[in-house]
Amino acid sequence: MKKIPIFILSLLLLLFPSLGARAAEPDLKAILRTVDEMSNFENSDFSATYTIVSEKPGEETSVFTVRMFRRDRSDQFLLLFLEPEIQKGQGYLQLEDNLWFYDPESRKFSHSSLKENLEDSETKNSDFRRSSLAEDYEVDSYSENTLGKYQVYVVDLVANNDEVPYPRLKLWIHKEQPLVLKVENYSLSDRLMRTAYYPKYMKVEERFIPSRMLFVDELKEGEKTQVTIKDASVASLPDSVFTKAYLERVNR
Amino acid sequence: MNSLRIAFRNLSRQKKRSFLLGGAIAFGIMIIILVNSFTAGFVENVQENFSHLFAGHVFLFGYEKSPSGRLITVIRDDKVLIETIESLENLPIQYLSRRSSLDGTLIFEGESIRQEVAGVNWQEERYLSERLILREGSMERVLADPRALILNEKTAAQLNVEIGDTLLVQLQTVTGQQNVGEFILAATSIDTGFFSTLSAYAHRSHVNRLLNIAEDEYISLGLFLEDMQLMERAAQMLRDALEDKVSLVPRFSGPQGFQEQRNQLLEEQWEGTRYQLFTIGDFLEPLNQVASTLNTVGLVVVLILFLIIMVGVTNTFRMVIHERTREIGTMRSLGLQRGGVRTLFLLEALLLSVGGAVVGLVAAFLVALVLSLINFGTDSQFFIILREGHLLFKVLPVRIAGNIVIVGVLTLLAALIPAGRAAKMDPAHALRKTY
Repeated sequence: MKKIPIFILSLLLLLFPSLGARAAEPDLKAILRTVDEMSNFENSDFSATYTIVSEKPGEETSVFTVRMFRRDRSDQFLLLFLEPEIQKGQGYLQLEDNLWFYDPESRKFSHSSLKENLEDSETKNSDFRRSSLAEDYEVDSYSENTLGKYQVYVVDLVANNDEVPYPRLKLWIHKEQPLVLKVENYSLSDRLMRTAYYPKYMKVEERFIPSRMLFVDELKEGEKTQVTIKDASVASLPDSVFTKAYLERVNR
Repeated sequence: MNSLRIAFRNLSRQKKRSFLLGGAIAFGIMIIILVNSFTAGFVENVQENFSHLFAGHVFLFGYEKSPSGRLITVIRDDKVLIETIESLENLPIQYLSRRSSLDGTLIFEGESIRQEVAGVNWQEERYLSERLILREGSMERVLADPRALILNEKTAAQLNVEIGDTLLVQLQTVTGQQNVGEFILAATSIDTGFFSTLSAYAHRSHVNRLLNIAEDEYISLGLFLEDMQLMERAAQMLRDALEDKVSLVPRFSGPQGFQEQRNQLLEEQWEGTRYQLFTIGDFLEPLNQVASTLNTVGLVVVLILFLIIMVGVTNTFRMVIHERTREIGTMRSLGLQRGGVRTLFLLEALLLSVGGAVVGLVAAFLVALVLSLINFGTDSQFFIILREGHLLFKVLPVRIAGNIVIVGVLTLLAALIPAGRAAKMDPAHALRKTY
C-alpha cells in the first residue's frame, strides 16, 4: 500500500519538477543584493575604459571610447571622452545631485540628466552607474530556465517607486554565481524597449565585472550598441578627479 | 513770418545745394526710422510666433519635488488659479489653454524622429482647431479617436507615415520613467514653416496617460490675451492676485534664467507646489537685447552720418554767409537787427532739417512698404522674424518724433556759429565787400 503514494509522488515530481524546486526556493532578494554589491564600489574606487560601438541601419557605425571613474560611496562619477577626436575632452561629472556635462570647445558646464542616452547609443548614463536592483525593485515572479549552456533564474522585477527608468525588468541570473546574463527593460505600458546581454565577465579583485555588453533596441529594428570594458581597476583615485577643475585641466 | 518767407526763398534760390543737404538729412532719418521700426517689428513677430506655438502670452507652470528630489512639472489642482483668473474682471483674456506636452521619439517602421507633442483639450482650444489648416485627414477624425495625432505634413513625410497608421512614441513620464505608447495619425497639417514642425497635437487625456498623470492634471496653463501689448499688465495683475494664495517663484529673464530657476528649485529644499508665472516676453528677453543692440548700432551709424552732415551744414552756411555778405549788409542797413539776421539763418537750417525729415519719413514708409510686400515664404530661414512670410515694420510715433527733434537740434547747432558770425557782421564793412 505504501508503494502507491511514493509512486504517485515520484510521478508528480517527474511531471512537475518545479514542485521539487519550490521546496528550496532561492532567496532572490539576496541574489539581487549580491548582484548590486558586485557592481557597486562602496569600499573602493573604480575606473575602466569603455569602448562603445553603436550600429544603426543606414548609418555609419559610430565608435567612441570613454574613461569612467566611479566613487559610489559618495555617489560621484566622471565620464571622460577619449574618442572620437571631435569629442575628446568632453565629460559627464556627477557632483552631489547634479550631473554636469563639460564641453571643452565652449569651456562650459551644462546640466544633464542621468536618464539620457549616452550620445546616440542604446546605452544610458545609468548603465555605467551603481546598481540598486534590491532597493528599487520587488520580485514579482521567477522561473528556472537555461540561457545557452547556463542554468539561470529568470526573474521578473517590478519597480517600487516611479523614479527608476524602467518600471519592469526581466533578469536572467546565473544560478551558480550571481551574474546577470541578460536583462529585458520594459516601459510603463509594459512594452519591451531594450534587451541587454552580458556574455563575458572579468574578475577584478574579488568582483566579477562584465567585460562585454550588448544593448539591443527593441523599438527601432536593427539599432544596437556593443560595449567592451578594459583596464578596469579598483585602485583608489585622488579626490581631485571628481571635480570640475579636473575636467578643465585634462583639456589643457 | 517775413523771415520764414525769406528763409524759404533763400533755400529755393540754391536748389542744388539745398537738395543735397536736405537729401543727406532725409537719408539719415530714413535709416534710423527703418532700423527702429524693423527691430520693433522683429521683436513683436518672434513673440507673436511663440505665443501661437505655446498658446499663450502669460504662463503658469507648477512644480513639485519627488521623494528623491526630482523636479516634477505638473499642475495637479488648478482651482485656486482658475478662481483667481476669473475674479480678475479686467484681465483681457481671449482664451485659456491647459496643455500637457511630451518630448518623445516617434517611431514608424524603422524611421524615427524627435518630436514635441502638445496635449490639447480640443473643447477648450477651438481657436487652434480653426487655425490649423489640415492637408489630409479631418478634425472629425481627430476628435473621434482618443489616440489621434496631428503631424505636420513634412514630419509625416519624413516618417513615411500615412493617415490611419499607428506610430510608436517613446518618452519619459513626468517622474522620469521610460514609457512607450501609440498614436494613430488622424490628420496632417499644412507646412507653414519652422514653427509648424515644432509641435504635433494630440488629445491631452492621451498625452496625460503617457506622461503618467491624471486626466484632469496638466503641465502648463496659458493665458492668450486679446492684445499682446497687454501681457506685462496682465502678468502683474495675476502675480499680485496670486501672491498671497500660492507659492510663486520670482520672475526670471530669458531661457537661461528659466533654466537657472529650475536648477535653483532642484537644489532648494521645499514642499508642496510652487508656481512659476512668466510672459512670453520674459522667456524671449534676449530678443530685447538683440533689438536694443541693433537700435544702438543704428543710432551710432546715424550719429556718425549726422556728424558728417553737421560739418557739411556748417561749411555750407559759412559759404552762404560769405556769398551773401553784401546782402546781409544791405538788410542790416535797412534796419534788420543782429537777432533778425541770426534768426533768418537758423530758420533756413530749421527748414532744411524739417524738409529733410519729412522726405526721410516718407522715404522710410515707402521702403518699409516695398520690403514688407516681399514674400520670403513661410519656410524661409528668416522664419523667426517674419509674419506669414513678410517682414513687419512697426511704426513707433514717439521714437520717430524724438529722432526728428534730434536732427532738428543738431542742424540748428551746426548753423548756430555761422549764423552768429553773420549777425555780428558790421553793416558798413559788409557793404564794402566786393567779390
